[in-house]
Amino acid sequence: MATVMLNGTPISVGGRFPRVGDPAHSFMLVDTNLQDVPLSRFYGRRKVIGVIPSIDASIGLTIARRLEGVASALDNTVVLVVSVDTPYALSRIIQQEGFHRVQLLSTLRGRDFHKDYGVMITDVPLSGLMTTALIGIDVNDNVVHAELVSDLNKEPDYEALAAALIPPVPQNPSLVA
Amino acid sequence: MSQVTLGGNAIPVDGAFPAQGDAAKPFTLVGKDLADVSLASFAGKNKVLNIFPSIDTPTCATSVRRFNESASKLENTVVLCISADLPFAQARFCGAEGLANVVTLSAMRGREFLNDYGVAIAGGPLKGVAARAVVVLDANDKVLYSELVPEIKNEPDYDSALAALK
Repeated sequence: MATVMLNGTPISVGGRFPRVGDPAHSFMLVDTNLQDVPLSRFYGRRKVIGVIPSIDASIGLTIARRLEGVASALDNTVVLVVSVDTPYALSRIIQQEGFHRVQLLSTLRGRDFHKDYGVMITDVPLSGLMTTALIGIDVNDNVVHAELVSDLNKEPDYEALAAALIPPVPQNPSLVA
Repeated sequence: MSQVTLGGNAIPVDGAFPAQGDAAKPFTLVGKDLADVSLASFAGKNKVLNIFPSIDTPTCATSVRRFNESASKLENTVVLCISADLPFAQARFCGAEGLANVVTLSAMRGREFLNDYGVAIAGGPLKGVAARAVVVLDANDKVLYSELVPEIKNEPDYDSALAALK
């Protein structure tokens, strides 16, 4: 059980938040075409999972916009934004914002993801929503970055994510010489 | 278990849909300020439950507006618009369309309502949202009228629903 803050009030978060080195938990989410989307859909690519409380909350939309930029900057990487919003709401936002890179996915069909990714808010009045998080997964489906954002009004650290996802290429002395 | 259609294709719907004469099951949903709202919150009033897949789809938008118009003409009656949309989306919609008189309620905390009221779509592309339905309750929470709309793309029979209260 973790705790995050909202306007100075602690909010309980249930489930097990992933740790660096964990194998990424499988999931089944729903895309804006109302199709099921499993983690395995993205096998062989790097994955960024941004979890937000709602795309219709200003902080959620801000994060989605930033992740659209992140998606443009990383190759072989799929950037997912996951929330409880219906796929219809996500569709509306994609059209409104002109998102091309980021994929908005919904937990409409079940709340397993909330628990399996340790982002399940359990305190009323926000229970049912997920708390903000940013997770990086490598091409082998291992977690390389995991930030449970400590305050619901704050954004995650995108730079730390990018650094974890694409480590600097070590110089090979024999090639340099 | 019931069945409706979506564009002519059969869609299974879980739960027992309430029939005329039934006692309405208690429920707890979420209001626009994220507070819990229960059936008991409306004790002593007639209730029109307008249930639909999403406020972000065109048919649903039409149904909410039309019901709102009609509700304002009825005495001691509240119209509850219920969907899986988050309260954020519901509030945004009502604000944009000037529907402040209608109470919107969200199933965001769980799907018990959808099962208890027999409107839980259990297969096909709409799995996870509510089927389209109208349930009219009297002041004592007895079911006066109910319609599980056979084709999700169609609107409910508003006139029959409202006639049940007259």
